[in-house]
Amino acid sequence: MEHVDHILIVDDDREIRELVGNYLKKNGLRTTVVADGRQMRSFLEANTVDLIVLDIMMPGDDGLQVCRELRVGKHKATPVLMLTARNDETDRIIGLEMGADDYLTKPFAARELLARINAVLRRTRMLPPNLVVTESGRLLGFGRWQLDTSARHLLDQDGTLVALSGAEYRLLRVFLDHPQRVLSRDQLLNLTQGREADLFDRSIDLLVSRLRQRLLDDAREPAYIKTVRSEGYVFSLPVEIFGASA
Amino acid sequence: MSFRLQWPRTLASRLSLIFLVGLILAQALSFGAQYYERFQSARSTMLGNMRNDVSTSIAILDRLPAQERPAWLKQLSRTNYDYLLSVGESGAPLDPEADEVPVAVTSISAALGGAHPLGFTRFAGEQKHFQAHVRLSDGSPVTIDVRPAMPPLSPWLPGVLLGQLALLIACTWLAVRIAIRPLARLANAVDTLDPNAHPVMLDEQGPIEVAHAARAFNAMQTRIAAYLKERMQLLAAISHDLQTPITRMKLRAEFMDDSVEKDKLWHDLGEMEHLVREGVAYARSIHGSTEESRRTDLDAFLDSLVFDYQDMGKDVRLIGKSAAVIDTRPQALRRVLVNLTDNALKFAGAAEVWVEAHKDSLAITVMDRGPGIADAELAHVLQPFYRVENSRNRDTGGTGLGLAIAQQLAMALGGSLTLSNREGGGLCAVLKLPLQP
Repeated sequence: MEHVDHILIVDDDREIRELVGNYLKKNGLRTTVVADGRQMRSFLEANTVDLIVLDIMMPGDDGLQVCRELRVGKHKATPVLMLTARNDETDRIIGLEMGADDYLTKPFAARELLARINAVLRRTRMLPPNLVVTESGRLLGFGRWQLDTSARHLLDQDGTLVALSGAEYRLLRVFLDHPQRVLSRDQLLNLTQGREADLFDRSIDLLVSRLRQRLLDDAREPAYIKTVRSEGYVFSLPVEIFGASA
Repeated sequence: MSFRLQWPRTLASRLSLIFLVGLILAQALSFGAQYYERFQSARSTMLGNMRNDVSTSIAILDRLPAQERPAWLKQLSRTNYDYLLSVGESGAPLDPEADEVPVAVTSISAALGGAHPLGFTRFAGEQKHFQAHVRLSDGSPVTIDVRPAMPPLSPWLPGVLLGQLALLIACTWLAVRIAIRPLARLANAVDTLDPNAHPVMLDEQGPIEVAHAARAFNAMQTRIAAYLKERMQLLAAISHDLQTPITRMKLRAEFMDDSVEKDKLWHDLGEMEHLVREGVAYARSIHGSTEESRRTDLDAFLDSLVFDYQDMGKDVRLIGKSAAVIDTRPQALRRVLVNLTDNALKFAGAAEVWVEAHKDSLAITVMDRGPGIADAELAHVLQPFYRVENSRNRDTGGTGLGLAIAQQLAMALGGSLTLSNREGGGLCAVLKLPLQP
């Protein structure tokens, strides 16, 4: 029998969780809806799911706390897509730090949620990262640079902030998650298609050259991202994980 | 030509003037009274002495043999008068019964008491110089030459007076300063009062009135901040609570069959959602950000911003390089530029971002070739919920908050935002930021 992805929806608003559940069901997914963290825990005692859609603004139970719990229990590999009610950078950052794989701001469209769910599932299944960042506030260090994975920017040796565009960040993150491993253009394209999948149409080659410029990498003799003829690219330096820093 | 005294403009100089004039007048009055009193008593003492002295001297001369008299003259001579053994000089006769005779005349008359024939002459020119002509018992003449003079003033008196004046000026200056300073401090505090920033409390120390004013000011400041906070919380709460019903409606709309009605509903929900988001963002921008300042590479920052637009297929170009590293709050700066660029894209479909570094400031300019804004309305569009009155804007469904948010955040970043119309049409928004050395 073909596997049908099982999505657990945790939201305190009865109508929203039922509307979301029905929409996903209509689109071929299996869904379970629960109202809070307590119900979620008791459901997960006896069941496993493929992805959890979690509202972080729930009365009584802090969604962020629930998310952090998920990341240390037996379901730590289950991807989490967070719903936030606030259009707030800090919420997004904290959510991603707590281990959510993606987030969506309310009000959202159901079809956008569906697209995100599919993207997260595809991403986590296709190529599991060989470098797993599990704890919050990590800095990824490589060469002369550090990448702040929560604020999504680079820091140079002096601690000066060097901003990255969304696409640049996603590409660099894919490289850093799979260091010293050759990645084909198709793989890179698939892995970088996160949030703005439909909007992202730059070729990988252009993005790589932009990223090299940002890293002050010499295009003819690159130290960070090397071209592998007829195969793709490889991030050639080792990557270190640092704890949270100021 | 008339000369009019100008009443000084500052409270400090007015108070100083009043104090100084009053104190100097009072001081002069008391000095004058004392001086007069001293003059009076000195004169009566002197006249008393003179009377005894003259009667004694004349009696001595009268009894001395004529040839011994000259030897005594020296001992009988006094500061203000001396004796001559002659008929004296001729001058205008002086009538002792007349009104304006020197008091010494009366003293001499009283001293001789009619014992000897007596006549007076006065001399023009020198003040009150007169001579008394006396005949001794043997018929020889004696003249008393009187040159009245004030008792001399002590040489240190002008010094003391100057010292007093200096003391008066110093005390006046000190008093006025003490009175004015709290007022200046209060005015300064009101000037810099920014209810959105952290309140700067006045020192509630000092004299009772000053402490009272400071307390009242601090209380007012706290009240204003509380009102503003309440207003912002209300806006944020309404915006926030609208999100749940809008989410439900959007989800429900997705179960509807495709139709014009569904599209319209979808569009309306999109507008509501946008307003809610901007409302929250505005409330947050007013209320001050908790974001920390970071050293930021400005060129990379602008590159990333423009690339994000280009990746979404938007026509946004970056022109110029600043080579600057600035201390700023990146999320707030990003929000300002995103709002300006979104605005340009909305009205013109394309935007140019210029960056220029000057000696101590840098300018980031977002320009478009859209319809621009009428000059009269330029100042108003930075106010929240203000929309330019033309049909074009209604269609695009702006919230009227984007530019207000940009303005608030620009100020929070220590910069300024100014709008102007470009030559050849279009809007030009200049964000000026301070450039630290």
